[in-house]
Amino acid sequence: MRYVKWAFWAVIFVILGSWLHYTLPQHDVVRIVGTYQERQDLNDWTSIFWSQPDDQAGTLVNRDVQFIQSIRTNGRPMVYRNEDTGWRWPPYFKFDTASLQTEADDLKSNAEAPKWAVVTHYGWRNELLSIFPNAVAVRPVEGPDVTIIPWFNIFFFVFLGLVTLLLWRMWAQFRERTIDPALTDAGEVWESVDARADAARDRAKGFFGRISAWLATWRAKSRK
Amino acid sequence: MIGFLRLMVFWAVFAAVAYWALLIYSRSLRRETLEKQWDAAPPEDASPETRKAFIEQGMHAYEGSLRRKLLWGVIVLPFIAIGLLLYLVNYA
Repeated sequence: MRYVKWAFWAVIFVILGSWLHYTLPQHDVVRIVGTYQERQDLNDWTSIFWSQPDDQAGTLVNRDVQFIQSIRTNGRPMVYRNEDTGWRWPPYFKFDTASLQTEADDLKSNAEAPKWAVVTHYGWRNELLSIFPNAVAVRPVEGPDVTIIPWFNIFFFVFLGLVTLLLWRMWAQFRERTIDPALTDAGEVWESVDARADAARDRAKGFFGRISAWLATWRAKSRK
Repeated sequence: MIGFLRLMVFWAVFAAVAYWALLIYSRSLRRETLEKQWDAAPPEDASPETRKAFIEQGMHAYEGSLRRKLLWGVIVLPFIAIGLLLYLVNYA
C-alpha cells in the first residue's frame, strides 16, 4: 500500500513538473542562422503542441508556420517555431510573431563572424514528434558565455510557494474553526445516543476522511 | 477577440472563487483574534451576550477596514500583470 502511495505522488509530481517545464520560459544562448516558413499538417494529436489561432477554421488541418533556425553554444542545432499565443494558453500574450521574425532575420550570422543572441522560449524540441519550442523574445548579447538570471521563474516559484502556504493555512483554519467543532458536537450527540463517536473519529482521519466526516455531520440527525 | 472574451470569462469565475475563499478566510482570522482578545482579558461584567456583542462590533469595524478592501487586489492585480506581460512581450 505504501508503494502505491509513493507511485501516486511520483506520478503527480512528474506530471506537474513536466507541465511546468513545458510552460515556463527558458533562455538559450544561440547564433541565429536562418528563418523559414513551412506548411504544417496539424490534423493529429501533436496539434496540442502548436498554437490554435482564434481565426483558424475548425476544419483547417494545415497552415503556414514560421521557424527560426539556430546553433547553440555547444554547436548543436535548435529550431524554434514562431507563433502567436494570443489570449490562449500558455499566457504569454504574444502577438508580435512578425516583428520577432524580423528581429531574428536581423541577427543572422555565420560561424566565421558569430553574433550571439538569447532566445526566450517555452516548449520542447522533439524530433520524433516533430514539435518545436515557441520563441517568445530574442535579444543580442555580447558573447556565448553570458550569465542569465531567470527572474521570471524565481518570482514564479516564490509566488507559487506563497500561494501553497496560503492554501494550507486556509485549510488549517477551516478545519480548526468549522470541521473540528462540528465533529466534536456530533461526537457528543452520538456519545449520548450510543457509542458511535469513536467510529466517527476513526472515519475522520486524513484529509478526505475529515471532509467526509464533516459532511456526514449534516446527515447525522437523520441517522440512528 | 473571442479569445479575449473567453479569457475574461474564465478569469471572472476564477477571481470570484478566489475572492470568496479569501474573504471567508480573512473574516475567520479576524473573528478568532477578537475571540482571543476578549478571552485574554474579559471585563468585570463578562457574559456570553457581551462577548457576542464585542465580537460583532469588531467584525462590523473589520468590514469597513483597509485590510478588507485590500482583498480586491485579488481581482485587480492580475489585470495589471496581464497588461505588464502584454507590454514586455510585445513592445519592450
